[in-house]
Amino acid sequence: MISCRNLTRRFGEFTAVDRLSFEVPAGAICAFLGPNGAGKSTTVKMLTGLLAPSSGEVEVCGLNVQSDPLELKRRIGVLPEDLGLFDDLTVEEHLLLTGSVYGVNRQETRSRTDQLLHALSLEHGRNTFARSCSHGMRKKTAFAMALLHNPRVLFLDEPFEAIDPVTSRIMRDLLESIARHGVTVFLTSHILSVVEQIATELIMIRKGRIVWNSPTGELPQSLEQHYFDLVEAPVVEELEWLGPPRS
Amino acid sequence: MARAAAILRALGVAFRRDQKSFESIAGNNFFLITALLVGPAGGFIFLIIGLVMLFPLSTDPLRKIPASRLALWPLEKRDYWVLRIASPWVNPVSWLVVALAVWAARGKVTLGLWGLAAGLFAGAFLLSDLHVFSTESLWRLAPNFPGPLNQLIRKNIREMLSTLDFYCALILSICVLVYRLLGPPLPGEAFLAVTVLVVLALSSYAQCLFGLDGDGGLGRYRLLPLRGWQILAAKDAAYLMLTIPLTLPVAPLAGAGAALTALALGHGPTVRLRRDQTRWRFSTGASLVFGLIQAVAMAMAASAIYFTSSLVLLLCIAVWLGSLWHFGREIDRAEVE
Repeated sequence: MISCRNLTRRFGEFTAVDRLSFEVPAGAICAFLGPNGAGKSTTVKMLTGLLAPSSGEVEVCGLNVQSDPLELKRRIGVLPEDLGLFDDLTVEEHLLLTGSVYGVNRQETRSRTDQLLHALSLEHGRNTFARSCSHGMRKKTAFAMALLHNPRVLFLDEPFEAIDPVTSRIMRDLLESIARHGVTVFLTSHILSVVEQIATELIMIRKGRIVWNSPTGELPQSLEQHYFDLVEAPVVEELEWLGPPRS
Repeated sequence: MARAAAILRALGVAFRRDQKSFESIAGNNFFLITALLVGPAGGFIFLIIGLVMLFPLSTDPLRKIPASRLALWPLEKRDYWVLRIASPWVNPVSWLVVALAVWAARGKVTLGLWGLAAGLFAGAFLLSDLHVFSTESLWRLAPNFPGPLNQLIRKNIREMLSTLDFYCALILSICVLVYRLLGPPLPGEAFLAVTVLVVLALSSYAQCLFGLDGDGGLGRYRLLPLRGWQILAAKDAAYLMLTIPLTLPVAPLAGAGAALTALALGHGPTVRLRRDQTRWRFSTGASLVFGLIQAVAMAMAASAIYFTSSLVLLLCIAVWLGSLWHFGREIDRAEVE
């Protein structure tokens, strides 16, 4: 469902993404992991047609991302890194906008909007303007926008960050249900405990290069330990000015 | 007091660094062309600009401090009062407004007039502090339109209503309407001149139609299965819906021609420069030269429609459609980094 070969993106001298090649089958939940600045969001932008690759090829839903961007957009749903909400639209208006531009009829849009607002506990904020929403509400709105038109592939950039535990659980369950219906989910996240529970495929990148690519079941150790070993180990420094510990 | 003084000092630094209030005037067609063409006779226009800039949302420096931060600081009631009274004078715009008032009232100042001015000034800041002025309820009144671009057009109308350009044009339009109802008849040339002036007040906004969308907004546009021309058309529809009614008291057909010309030329900097704008400020256009070209083209289109034939409006529509198609294609090709 998602296929890229030697995908590369350079910004001047800097290579953000370096010859990535991977495939994600239909119905998989693929977690794309790496530290900040590793090239995750740049990759997602190339997969969704927002950014042209410097070289390499990308296919999503059997479509070449570069040659058929409009058809691609109709088939995918995206939760972008910056959420991409409009300050001057309310939560509900964002969903109504999504329905009309993706060609979902008005009645169906209303019905799906109500269901999504209910499922994501957004009903109380349906008439709140995006600029007045909390970060969590904004994220849930962007998530609902990504789902409303029933896409075949879902790209989610850090969907679980800044989300309360209950909504996080609801989103996980929704994603698993969607994947069972054959929708491919491609997500980035820093919350490894959640990723470990829902992902069926794992790709780890570091400095724009893939350092691990396998089904989740093939991990040799816990995801967190494997991530620390392959991507980045935490270094904790004592802050001397805090003084001696008090028991 | 020391705490309030420290906050005022920080606000002063923030204002020195953020010169957007002045920059937005300096890059605004209306101000530039009024200054160039109207010159000393433009006192009335400058006063309108001053009045609009007194808009609480535009002027209040305390709004620079996030409300949560202000609430978290260990300030006493006295500190809040000091901040409330002294903070407006940290903003250079306040001094500009006072200077404009002194200049406009030179030779005919009475104690009562000064009292009225001071009262208006204090009232504006009090309203700002009490948060009586809520735009959200007003924004919900934006009407619905048929078609898939409905919500985009509503959003664009709300964006345009949060720039000072619109209120400048609105005050001008209301002044002309009142004059026509109560004053002696105006000559035909005056109708045309005021029409161009009203559209001129909104012409800088036509050069930065994505200015209030932010980077996130642009990214969302590119994710939607819409052609570039559709995205631009939603912007233009909102612009025309707010601009043409303002020319109703004068010459609406000439106003429509001027507005379409402003948009046709404005698409270039809108798509290529993507200059971020700030709410409750005047829009900043591409450059003085471009502003002049845009103003001359608008004036030519309006006068051709007004003095020659209404059919010239068809030519304006054709040029606008051509621009929509061309720059729509540029949006389709643009990248979001």
